[in-house]
Amino acid sequence: MNPILSFVVILIGIYGLAVSTNIIKSVFCVTIIEAGLILLFLNLGQYEGGLIPIMEALGIEIVDPIPQALMITTIVIGSTITSLALMISIKIFHITGSIEWKDFLKRK
Amino acid sequence: MIYAPVLFVFIPIIIAIAVFLIKSPKAHYLVFLSQAALIVLFVLYALFLSANPDQNIIVFGGWDARFAISFYNDWLSLVFIGLTIFMWTVILLYTFKINYAQKKLFFFLMFLEGVFLGLIQTNDLFNMFVFLELTTVLVTILIVYRKGGEAFKAGLQYMLLNTVAAMFFLIGIILLYYVYGTINIRVIASEIALYSDYNIVKFAYVLMITGLCVKAALFPLFTWLPRAHGVAQASISALLSGLIVKAALYIFLRVNFDMFSNAYSMSEMFFWLGAISALVGVVIAMSQKDLKQILAYHTVSQVGIIMMGLAATGPIETLFTNPAAFGGLLHAVNHAVFKSLLFLAAGSIIRVYQTKKVYEIRGVFKTMPWTAIVLIVAMLSITGAPFFNGFISKSLIKYGFKQDALKMIVFTIVNLGTMISFVKFSQILFGPKQKLIVDRQYKQHFAMSLLAIASLVIGLAYYPIFKSLFALTWGGALYLDYLIYIEYIGYMALAVLIFHFVVKRDYLPFRLLRGSPISFLTANSIFVFSMIVIGLFVFL
Repeated sequence: MNPILSFVVILIGIYGLAVSTNIIKSVFCVTIIEAGLILLFLNLGQYEGGLIPIMEALGIEIVDPIPQALMITTIVIGSTITSLALMISIKIFHITGSIEWKDFLKRK
Repeated sequence: MIYAPVLFVFIPIIIAIAVFLIKSPKAHYLVFLSQAALIVLFVLYALFLSANPDQNIIVFGGWDARFAISFYNDWLSLVFIGLTIFMWTVILLYTFKINYAQKKLFFFLMFLEGVFLGLIQTNDLFNMFVFLELTTVLVTILIVYRKGGEAFKAGLQYMLLNTVAAMFFLIGIILLYYVYGTINIRVIASEIALYSDYNIVKFAYVLMITGLCVKAALFPLFTWLPRAHGVAQASISALLSGLIVKAALYIFLRVNFDMFSNAYSMSEMFFWLGAISALVGVVIAMSQKDLKQILAYHTVSQVGIIMMGLAATGPIETLFTNPAAFGGLLHAVNHAVFKSLLFLAAGSIIRVYQTKKVYEIRGVFKTMPWTAIVLIVAMLSITGAPFFNGFISKSLIKYGFKQDALKMIVFTIVNLGTMISFVKFSQILFGPKQKLIVDRQYKQHFAMSLLAIASLVIGLAYYPIFKSLFALTWGGALYLDYLIYIEYIGYMALAVLIFHFVVKRDYLPFRLLRGSPISFLTANSIFVFSMIVIGLFVFL
């Protein structure tokens, strides 16, 4: 896959953040950006015909293991962020009765 | 003693877990035990490091240093570690009585301290990202700790904007890994010149710098900061303004000056970035009527001033020989001291008066004498009065561009604006004694006095301190020049005049500035836009 495609995914996420008025949508746009960068990094680390980097594959051609190690951490962080953000969105819904950024701003 | 950096991270985290698990509220006194242990450990480690300067790096797991996770300490990180431990001690002292039964708050505070100390010491770009994101999550929880609609809104905006910024920082790291094959800061710093002409490295640089601009709340990207400061409780605001923003500046120093300074020289751009944020922050601060909002916008402007100083530096070793750059670093420390003092004092005042409006609070000096005295010390520091710490760092920053008339004018305007809005702030001191219930808070007074003493000590004894700590040879005899006193008094008189005839009358431009918050959606567009602008500077 072309790395440009992952940048397209990231840009879609940024566009969504800039236009969506719904809080839940904003949270998931951040998730989309994260997915795009995970794709980008895994893509840069692999090549055609490389095996997965586990112990049995020693001595054979394997792909670079560092991107995979780093990206699994990024996925964990991303899930933390998403769950906390959704939790706060639920609280916002309970307090204001709406999950729109605009309604929310009006109640200032 | 070589493993002390690991203990810096784990002592607060273990204490946090202990506080959370033990049922009795008496266990909360453990936090002071941890602070005492950290202070002792810090002093021992600083002595150890100055005796053995070659043992400054720890590699975990016995891997090749190119790929392993490692911690690295030099004098810069030692300064920030010392500042962190000091500030946390003060804030724990301040907030202990108010939140005595709140074990969750102490859990998150202590956990944040461990994460923060890790962020300062890490030598690995990806770990830096992990610590950065952990900081964001923990700070968000602390912001929304007082549950309310406004708090949740500000907290969510803070988290989403900072997460996007950190994600772009991570894309920069990924591209650097793709080119250099490592994420170790020291290795990249030594090899940066090999590929710095590549467009992909320039692109990575742009992404990382823009991400850090959000974290440091520089000009177009500061929108999260005033909101987050406004809703959090006083101690958390002090922490945010004093340290969390400084973390971004520290990473900025590491990334921009440690790694990229041999490749690109962007000091003009960073100077004007800082100058514009200083101007904008100070102008908006003048228009505010809320105690905490005034202080929050001043954080934006003071970070701009720090940036004006730091922009002058080249490679990180030149930070000592260059007065302006050293002034920038010193102003980061000083700002942490006096701005936290302002926030803590304002928090005490708001708690007693039950309002945040600057024109409604009167007679603080007679109602709360000790708080008023430390508040005056902080206000003199931030406006740059002689004998206080703000004066030292501002003079050093000014020293860097003495010949450049335009830069001097910008700096003077920023200074004057700071004075005007603190003349406005000081209006709360005057007036008759109010009939309010003032409870004696000895721990709070002690915490605020510590900060006030620190700002006085740096202001009065800066020369012997820096000479013994950093072996500086310049910068003595600043107070013998009588011109500085005339200058300060003259500007102060001008500021009082402008306050009475312009700011107090609240003309239309001020009302417009006060009532126009930039929404979250616009902030994201601005983020992309500023990325393009910085990209233009780097590529052209």
